[in-house]
Amino acid sequence: MAKRVAILQFPGTNCELDTQYAFKKLGCETEIVWHKNNKLPENIDLVVVPGGFSYGDYLRSGAIARFAPIMQDVANFAQNGGNVLGICNGFQILVEAHLLPGAMMRNENLHFISKQQYLKVENIDNKFLANLNIGEIIKAPIAHAEGKFFIDENGLSELKENNQIILRYCDATGELSNPNGSIESIAGICNRERNVFGLMPHPERAIETILGSTDGIRMLEGFLK
Amino acid sequence: MDKLDLLYEGKGKKLYSTNDRDLLIAEFKDDLTAFNAQKRSQESGKGILNNEISTIIFGELSDSNITTHFVKKLNDRDMLVKRVSIIPIEVVVRNVATGSLTKRLGIPEGRELKNPIVEFYYKNDAMNDPIINDEHAVIMGLVDEVVELENLKTQARKINEILKPFFAKVGLRLIDFKLEFGKDKNENIILADEISPDSCRFWDSTTGEKLDKDRFRQDIGGVKVAYEEVKNRILTLQKVYKAIVNIYLKDGVLDSAGKAVNHALGSLGFGNSVNDVRIGRQIILKISANSKSDAEKQTQEMCESLLANTVIEDYNIEIING
Repeated sequence: MAKRVAILQFPGTNCELDTQYAFKKLGCETEIVWHKNNKLPENIDLVVVPGGFSYGDYLRSGAIARFAPIMQDVANFAQNGGNVLGICNGFQILVEAHLLPGAMMRNENLHFISKQQYLKVENIDNKFLANLNIGEIIKAPIAHAEGKFFIDENGLSELKENNQIILRYCDATGELSNPNGSIESIAGICNRERNVFGLMPHPERAIETILGSTDGIRMLEGFLK
Repeated sequence: MDKLDLLYEGKGKKLYSTNDRDLLIAEFKDDLTAFNAQKRSQESGKGILNNEISTIIFGELSDSNITTHFVKKLNDRDMLVKRVSIIPIEVVVRNVATGSLTKRLGIPEGRELKNPIVEFYYKNDAMNDPIINDEHAVIMGLVDEVVELENLKTQARKINEILKPFFAKVGLRLIDFKLEFGKDKNENIILADEISPDSCRFWDSTTGEKLDKDRFRQDIGGVKVAYEEVKNRILTLQKVYKAIVNIYLKDGVLDSAGKAVNHALGSLGFGNSVNDVRIGRQIILKISANSKSDAEKQTQEMCESLLANTVIEDYNIEIING
């Protein structure tokens, strides 16, 4: 049976159609869910909080979206073990909503960074990256101004103890590199229960050769098993 | 913050422990009792009114530098308070003769007293809360030192000086009221309990109508309507304040923008004097509140829930008259 994916849409979201395109291509049923809804659709397998600039990034990225009506049900869904994936602004929203630990800050060089980025797979003991190999180097675009992940020392050691760091930024050879000043080059994490994921790179923009990478397919396919 | 164990149930409130050992939750009940609980009733919604009225009064007192156990109102019925050990003395301040003063001493009902008087009652239901003097209080060990009794009287008089004109502004004559004090963890004596129409007598300045628990004691009826009237009148004293919130990255969190500006200042020749630059943001709010401390508490909650990201940011708040 086709997996059902709900894709959230806030004012200022701009990656919902790309995300829908990607999941349709993978054979999923998709539904775009307006932020003012109180309830997610029935029987869904995955909620994606896509990229963009929800509420114009006013105050802080994700800070206002967090209080949108739909977010309460997303929190319930996550609490009951449902899979939630936050991409870019979606990652920022999940962090602000405390569904993922840490905080997002402006890129260290204060620039908006938009480029193809190599990533190192740090953990595959999770649904999202189960199709990949530990230490594998993959490629996906990043496009953000506030992608510098920050977490305090205690939080960082907890992330490490529980293997919650799933992706790090690196160069073509796999040497860690850091486009935005993120702590320990962290590009993506999951929660302790391993059902809520956040990453700054855009897997939905890495699904066709013409886009420069197809690694995104193998990532997103993890949710289809 | 959640209620854990029920520590104490009094006539008007229940006290619960919380996960912070220095803080308790006071839940305001609907029970009405008089004559040391020989007369009992319930007035649905009374607890909610007393919680709201007490919240406003504690805020007003705090603005005038009276330290109280009040931390914040949590919801309709619950108030977060500091844990104190209650001094078992009911401190009563009287401005106008009524009640026991009239019955016991024959001072005509309604006579304005030349000076406010302060009385002590031993807080003991089994003994019917008997009146006591300073020497009794010391002999009975209700306080550790005589000087603490002076402290109670001084605070009670000061509170009267604040509340009398406060209520007068909304046409309420503060006839008399009861206070309870407790010692906080630093052994400071601070105001505790509640201040509401359960613990005060209010007469309408023009009509003399009673707007307090005497309506229950004397079977006048309309208890809740009267309490509601008191609340509505003091709510008209709400003011607009300006809250200035400064938010900046915590020490130890790299401020890239600050660093860039620091560099720029260096290249302009300020490098010798400028050691560090932090760039924050300022949010200015206009808020209606009952007191400055109320405005500050509200703003603080807004900072914690939305305005600041406390993982990476610190904030400070300045409240000025709007």
